[in-house]
Amino acid sequence: MASKTGNGPGIRLAADIGGTFTDIAAFDPSDGRLVFGKTLSTPDKLIEGIVDGVDKAGTAFPEANLFLHGSTVAINTMLERTGAKTALLITEGFRDIYEIGRVNRPDAYNLFFQKHQPLVERALRFEVSERLYAEGAIHKSLDEDSVRQTCALLREEGVEAVAILLLHCYANPAHELRVREIVEEELPDAFVSTSHELSQEYREFERCSTVVANAYIGPKVESYIAGIDDRIQEDGFDGSFLVVQSTGGLYDGDQAKRQCVRMLESGPAAGVIGTRALCDAIGLENAIAFDMGGTTAKAGVIHNGEALTTGSALIGGYERALPVQIAMMDIFEVGTGGGSVARIADEGGLRVGPQSAGAQPGPACYGQGGDIPTVTDANVYLGRLSPDRFLGGEMPLEVDAAGTAIDNKVAGPLGMDTADAAQGILRVAVTAMSHAVKAVTTERGLNAGDFAMVAYGGAGPLHACNIAREMGIRDVFIPHSPGHFSAFGMLFSDLRYDYVRSRFTRLADMDFSAIEKVYRELETEGIAEIENVSAVPERIVVSRAADMRYVGQEHSVTVDLAADLFANEDRAGIKERFDAVHDLRYGTCAPQERSEIVSLRVTVTGMLAKPDLQRIKQGNEAPSPDAHTGVRQVRFGDERLATDTWDRSRLVSGNKIAGPALVEEHASTTVLHPGDGLTVDDYGNLKISIGSDAS
Amino acid sequence: MKKTSTGPDPIVTEIVRNGMIAITEEMKSNLMRTAYNMIIYEALDFTVGLFTEKGETISIGLGLPMFIRGMAETIKAKLEHYGVENINPGDILLTNDAYITGSHLNHLTFSMPIFLEDELIGFACCMAHWPDIGGTLDGITTDIYSEGLQIPIVKYQREGVVNEEIVDIIRANVRLPDRAMGDLRAQLTAITTGERRYLELVKRYGRAQVAASISDIMDQSERAARARTLSIPDGVYEAESFMDDDGVSISDRIPIRVRVIVEGDEMTVDLSDVAAQVQGFYNSGITTGYACSQVAFKCITSPTDYPINDGSFRNLKAVVPPGRVVSAVKPAPMRWWMTFPMTIVDTVFKALTPAIPERTIAGHHADLVIAMLNGINPKNNEFYIAFIGPTGGGWGAKQNEDGVSATVCINDGDTHNSPAEQLESKYPFLIENYALRKDSGGAGEYRGGLGCENTVQARADFMLNAQVERMHCKPWGLNGGKEAAGNAVVLRADGIWEEDYPNAKLLTARIKQGDAFAVRSGGGGGFGDPRKRPAETVADDVRQGYVSVESARKDYAVVCDARGNLDAAATEKLRAGN
Repeated sequence: MASKTGNGPGIRLAADIGGTFTDIAAFDPSDGRLVFGKTLSTPDKLIEGIVDGVDKAGTAFPEANLFLHGSTVAINTMLERTGAKTALLITEGFRDIYEIGRVNRPDAYNLFFQKHQPLVERALRFEVSERLYAEGAIHKSLDEDSVRQTCALLREEGVEAVAILLLHCYANPAHELRVREIVEEELPDAFVSTSHELSQEYREFERCSTVVANAYIGPKVESYIAGIDDRIQEDGFDGSFLVVQSTGGLYDGDQAKRQCVRMLESGPAAGVIGTRALCDAIGLENAIAFDMGGTTAKAGVIHNGEALTTGSALIGGYERALPVQIAMMDIFEVGTGGGSVARIADEGGLRVGPQSAGAQPGPACYGQGGDIPTVTDANVYLGRLSPDRFLGGEMPLEVDAAGTAIDNKVAGPLGMDTADAAQGILRVAVTAMSHAVKAVTTERGLNAGDFAMVAYGGAGPLHACNIAREMGIRDVFIPHSPGHFSAFGMLFSDLRYDYVRSRFTRLADMDFSAIEKVYRELETEGIAEIENVSAVPERIVVSRAADMRYVGQEHSVTVDLAADLFANEDRAGIKERFDAVHDLRYGTCAPQERSEIVSLRVTVTGMLAKPDLQRIKQGNEAPSPDAHTGVRQVRFGDERLATDTWDRSRLVSGNKIAGPALVEEHASTTVLHPGDGLTVDDYGNLKISIGSDAS
Repeated sequence: MKKTSTGPDPIVTEIVRNGMIAITEEMKSNLMRTAYNMIIYEALDFTVGLFTEKGETISIGLGLPMFIRGMAETIKAKLEHYGVENINPGDILLTNDAYITGSHLNHLTFSMPIFLEDELIGFACCMAHWPDIGGTLDGITTDIYSEGLQIPIVKYQREGVVNEEIVDIIRANVRLPDRAMGDLRAQLTAITTGERRYLELVKRYGRAQVAASISDIMDQSERAARARTLSIPDGVYEAESFMDDDGVSISDRIPIRVRVIVEGDEMTVDLSDVAAQVQGFYNSGITTGYACSQVAFKCITSPTDYPINDGSFRNLKAVVPPGRVVSAVKPAPMRWWMTFPMTIVDTVFKALTPAIPERTIAGHHADLVIAMLNGINPKNNEFYIAFIGPTGGGWGAKQNEDGVSATVCINDGDTHNSPAEQLESKYPFLIENYALRKDSGGAGEYRGGLGCENTVQARADFMLNAQVERMHCKPWGLNGGKEAAGNAVVLRADGIWEEDYPNAKLLTARIKQGDAFAVRSGGGGGFGDPRKRPAETVADDVRQGYVSVESARKDYAVVCDARGNLDAAATEKLRAGN
């Protein structure tokens, strides 16, 4: 990559490639100015979309010194199964574990259930003659000749990528490293990935699935990143090119080419980082990050100022999921979005989602031939979305088409009037989305009512106040430019490297010097990686955690542990921290029970200088009359109310609006219910106090 | 919303439906996260649910698919025992009566009445499996008394006050009293969560509206079940299978005969001709007889209808006279209750195949295929009890789909196996392999799924205990499909494999350091004539290693080499012959 930069003057650019749009955010530290650009994502010309977006935002690559990027390329390659021809090399006796998986059958009464489909067919899974004990000692030494023979077969088969998983490599990576060397000698052009580079955590199926996913998407992601790198350099970019990981942290483009699986969920994670940045700016400790788009709604959590992450995730739906065992933002997703269709199920009940009308034909109100009602149609019919100001008026909406679809598919069969049915579709959608919010709060022992909600994505502001009412949330924030929020969030990311290593020891018997050695190794590696990145951080922060459980339990919880607990060999202090985390998460703890450590975790963060956000113009409580764009009949509860509509771009700091009201902007509409009160803050965010009125 | 509408508001009904599912899911996750024993949080051997004030099922959170009926029957028994007038706010009712739950004594079932002010409006209930309830540790049992502590219907808590004497009795009778109390607390967390959330919902939408919605949800489920039953041609359908033996009278086969009668939109599952209760611990109570019928019926008529509720079963009649192996009476031993019912469910599918071949499935491995090990861990000199499995086995093929490999049996649902890396770090084992068994899937136009082999070597001596069924009654094929490999348990001593056992039940065996045992799960039966399976597909099965070159030739009449290169001419010739 290019020369070392990072904090100096120069524009900071972020590009978020989503399924439909490519969003650009550009921040100029010299004046605190933030600008955005949006272009369509065209699958075969993703890089052009970035270049066009930068142009639309009115900036250019030569002016930038940081380019931050998140993309769906990795996840799409995995979900659409368009990756490389991949082989798996695995410990003798375990060839089938990738196919066997965890043998669970969640869809319990369905005889037509399906299991996960491996990314590598069985014929390309090969055993390696070797075996380690759990302690890392060698039970059977590595048969190098057999590896070379296998490589000859791989060459013959035209394999492009090779994943290597050997049992207990977290305790001793020597065999994985040696197999890697041999494969690289024998197949110099192949993309080679070993499991311990990605995860040094026990559970062979999950780690296997992780390393295979990395190898499978590797060649495509590598050339994608290289393509961007070449193209932006051609355009005169001379700064640091960093990629957003699923944790929301940044890593070097060169590293993203090898550890591709770390960027699977970069866009959604960046939205949560944006929420954290917003919390920082306005002094909030706890918030729910709520993101609603066309097909899904997602919720993440900021707790005590930190975005909550998890050590693994399931990719592609629970029943058929391929697990990925790496650190990720803890985000819960439900299949409810603006495009989610409403239908009457065989049993006679009303269902909303998870099927989506997609972009073609889209919701009925798009007038493209769709005749199935969606959440968007319900919003249009109820007056919540303006038919002539959607996407800044670029896309007129047909209210009648929405009404007809709702009538034919929902209201008629249920014997209701159209508006009641539309209202019903929204209510069902809201309960489903509330489930995502519950999953990240209530289900980990947090009370959603104690959190503010930050709502973004095209459809987030439309439904935020409904969900807040459902969950007992009192404060809702709609950030500046909610449709570009992931790109905005990227501007606030830090360099971040996460490490985990399984190490089983009872707390009472723990050898502090041995544990210290492991932590030091992981920390040294992380610091070295960060020092290799072309961007220069202001400072480096190292944090430690351990996965702990009571002796006899299997599930562990991750406990953040301050370094002095180790320096002082404070067993009691560690135990207290664990008991407290267990109590918070599960509502019980057992201080008298013995505990044990399962895995050690280290996060090394290279803190980058943060943009200082520009404050917007101050004004009076009453918004300027030219911000008032009209009055529309909007249905709240049982009746239609005359509702003021406002142009968000003309609101200034200090303006107050009382609900019912609609605040409209290019790609989004914020709905204020009767009783809700809105204030525009210094940064242009809409702060809404939810009224007691239930509607 | 309009407050004047007649009948339930369909929107509220849908919100209540989602609400009920969410409540039982939350009860489930609270139980799983706080439980101490892996049988709950890994094997998911539990069930939680919400019930009407009469004990009808509103929503069940699985858990154990075969426990679809157990809690409802337990609540009805509790209501009958006390009389509804003697059930008060703050009571918690407990029992593990195996003849009421239909299962074994390890299933402690707690129920909490839910009161809206003074009116009983429902129950929150939680069954969970405790790893130990006393009784004998190893070997087979032949009556209930040797299986541990029996708790009749009692009030664990009376109007908010815990009956400490019951706690003392439990603690005195179980081997791991502290763990048991941990699981007990987890179960109480689950039912109090259920009570709280249900009341929130009732307060939000009103008692009458919620009751109407529940009734509406049940009616919807009933309509759907009736419509799907109506689409099955009327008739009397019968099928038969057998169990290997009862663990006492070795090799005495135990007949399983089922009769299914379809008349219009109603179905009867008649288990009158299932074998009488047996000497060994494979019996279950009448609740499980009903559960077998319900599980089979739900799989056929409403597999993805949620929440699981009583409405779905209104057009099902189960005929189960007492004294059968799934309607056993005291003092029949019940400890391994879960094995036989799975085969009954499979046999119902077999019976219905002539009528609805597109909706049934060939036989599956139908056993947990687990082994229980105990010994002293040399690392810390502590006594341990460990499990290998559930191994996961093959599922049957269907009319248009191959069977799924390596998946838990129908008794189990979202149940997980244990990673080798976890087992080896905890216990003195070396897992030698965990592999698909080539040729274990039944041949057919659609091939059955493959079973697995899991071989465990002792790094220090331990005791092995395994009681696996269906070694001889192999998972059958349908409509010309072939049977699959059966389940097995085998030992290796001093490097020599001993595989010649009369059954797959090794109730006590000592495995010495360096020796090993293997559990082998069966496959799934095939569906349709194997010669109709496209030769290219068979050749690909050979290339992948699911099917051997020999089996391709013998069972499918396909000639190819080990790399799946098809000899088209030889195949055509072979398929034309006979």
